[in-house]
Amino acid sequence: MTRPYVKWLLLAAALVMAAFYLFPLYWMYVTSLKTGSEIFANPPTFWPNSPDFSVYPQVWARRTMSTYLWNSVVIAGGVTAITVALGTGCAYVLARYRNIWIDVGLFSILMLQVLPASVMVTPIFVGFNQFGLLATPRFAVILAASAKAMPFFVVLVRATFMSVPRELEEAALVDGNSRIGAFFSIVLPLARNGILVCAILTFMTAFGEYIYSKSIIQDTSLQPASVGLSSFIGPNSRDWNSIMAYVAIYVTPILAIFVLLQRRIVSGLTSGALK
Amino acid sequence: MQKLVSSLRDGVGFDLLLVGAAMVFLVALAGLPLLYNILMSFQQVDMFTLGTFVRPFVGFANYVAVITQPEFWLVTRNTFVFVIASIAGQFTLGFALALFFTLRFPGGATIRGLFLVSWVMPGLVVGAIWSWILAGDFGVLNAILTRLGIIDANIFWKSDPAVSLWAVIIANIWLGLAFNMLLLSVGLASIPRDLYEAAELDGANAPQRFWTITLPMMRSTIGAVLSLGLIGTLQQFDLFPAITEGGPANSSTVAQFWAWQMSFKLYDFARGATVSVLMLLLVLVASIVYVHSTRNEVRG
Repeated sequence: MTRPYVKWLLLAAALVMAAFYLFPLYWMYVTSLKTGSEIFANPPTFWPNSPDFSVYPQVWARRTMSTYLWNSVVIAGGVTAITVALGTGCAYVLARYRNIWIDVGLFSILMLQVLPASVMVTPIFVGFNQFGLLATPRFAVILAASAKAMPFFVVLVRATFMSVPRELEEAALVDGNSRIGAFFSIVLPLARNGILVCAILTFMTAFGEYIYSKSIIQDTSLQPASVGLSSFIGPNSRDWNSIMAYVAIYVTPILAIFVLLQRRIVSGLTSGALK
Repeated sequence: MQKLVSSLRDGVGFDLLLVGAAMVFLVALAGLPLLYNILMSFQQVDMFTLGTFVRPFVGFANYVAVITQPEFWLVTRNTFVFVIASIAGQFTLGFALALFFTLRFPGGATIRGLFLVSWVMPGLVVGAIWSWILAGDFGVLNAILTRLGIIDANIFWKSDPAVSLWAVIIANIWLGLAFNMLLLSVGLASIPRDLYEAAELDGANAPQRFWTITLPMMRSTIGAVLSLGLIGTLQQFDLFPAITEGGPANSSTVAQFWAWQMSFKLYDFARGATVSVLMLLLVLVASIVYVHSTRNEVRG
């Protein structure tokens, strides 16, 4: 580290690695702008000859993306609402005490985090069918996906509550606040940022949810964007420029949110993920 | 009654209410389905009994049926190859990147953040992009490899049974790299600097410092990362429908995709549940390792 040029060499190396890593994203955008014949050029062109943006409005209209994306927003919003409403209080209690029952609770939540959705989808589908929940498929997906999202949320938010000083809450109790009052007026505002980051993460994950929606929602007008995408990709796909345009429309909002909040998200994850 | 209300407002009742609400929800939508899954694996579940609550028991017939299925051993082998190769790739590359980014240089933290992009992307989208990159005739990976002189003829990543599983593995490594790097970076950052300085004064070179300080200090982190990798890989589903759909001829089918196909393509929910139970045993091993390594961390 003593010579000045070393750090610039390191920077160059880092940029090269990042370029390799981000190539799939670049390729997504570039392909979406190519014409139908240019995508099959050999050797492939690494920059479109004449960038053609008209594919975006075409795909948007032809694939009824407004419906699909709206359903994704409904599902992700519902999952986030349930997860935050139920998970925050649970995380608070798990952070507040330290005894054997808390350990048991944490352990069982960790165990639930481990279950693959592809395993849970069979019993959930059959059970929901028996209780008539399949009549409201989006709501059924929201319930199933919330149960999947909540353990991770609780583990991360618990780490946030751990960093709120106990003394502040105790001072509020001494001043005559009830437990409810102290929770809503002292603890929650102090943990607000951490909860917000975890809620955004939950939303982004649920926005890409696929397996429950694919298995539970049969009605095309209620399916989210992931299921809409799966209906026109497969081993023999041909119209790659429209697929990549669809994919670009789908993920660009997520990528934008991520880049904006990158620092917050990383610090939120690093404090919670390993504890 | 009044006592109950005041306890809910201002006592243990408040805590119990908060935990209880979440727990009831999780038990209803994760715990019970789990038990129901095990129950179904011992029942006859077909289109006639799907909606009824009482079904005939069949003992281990579903397990026998699954294990004697011709593709059972192929799927088992694929699952292990998928898990081991994915974890090896994610971990090695993630560790290398995490070590690289411990070096200080301008813009380092920002560039490291870019490497997390794949983590927030929907799995199906990642699958779609890689499906196009890996396309046989017009895929860019084949074009690059040919230009570099590494291969002579195009590799048909998605339709050649010999490599179709590896197509999914490549995509999965890209997807999981970020999470591995992030967790390993946290572990590396927690090693005290002065250990390295002391070793350097004693004349230890870089590889010696890596083997005698970095690896031992990272032991519990590595345990947690590997078991989380195992759990994450067993949860990976979205890449399969997007890239190969398990084909050709099941050459890229893994247990989690097989279970889903049984239930939702063949409508054989009993066998789907049976494969799921078999897979849960694998997941259980992973979680025991995970819990064990996090407990070490608390103690150490």
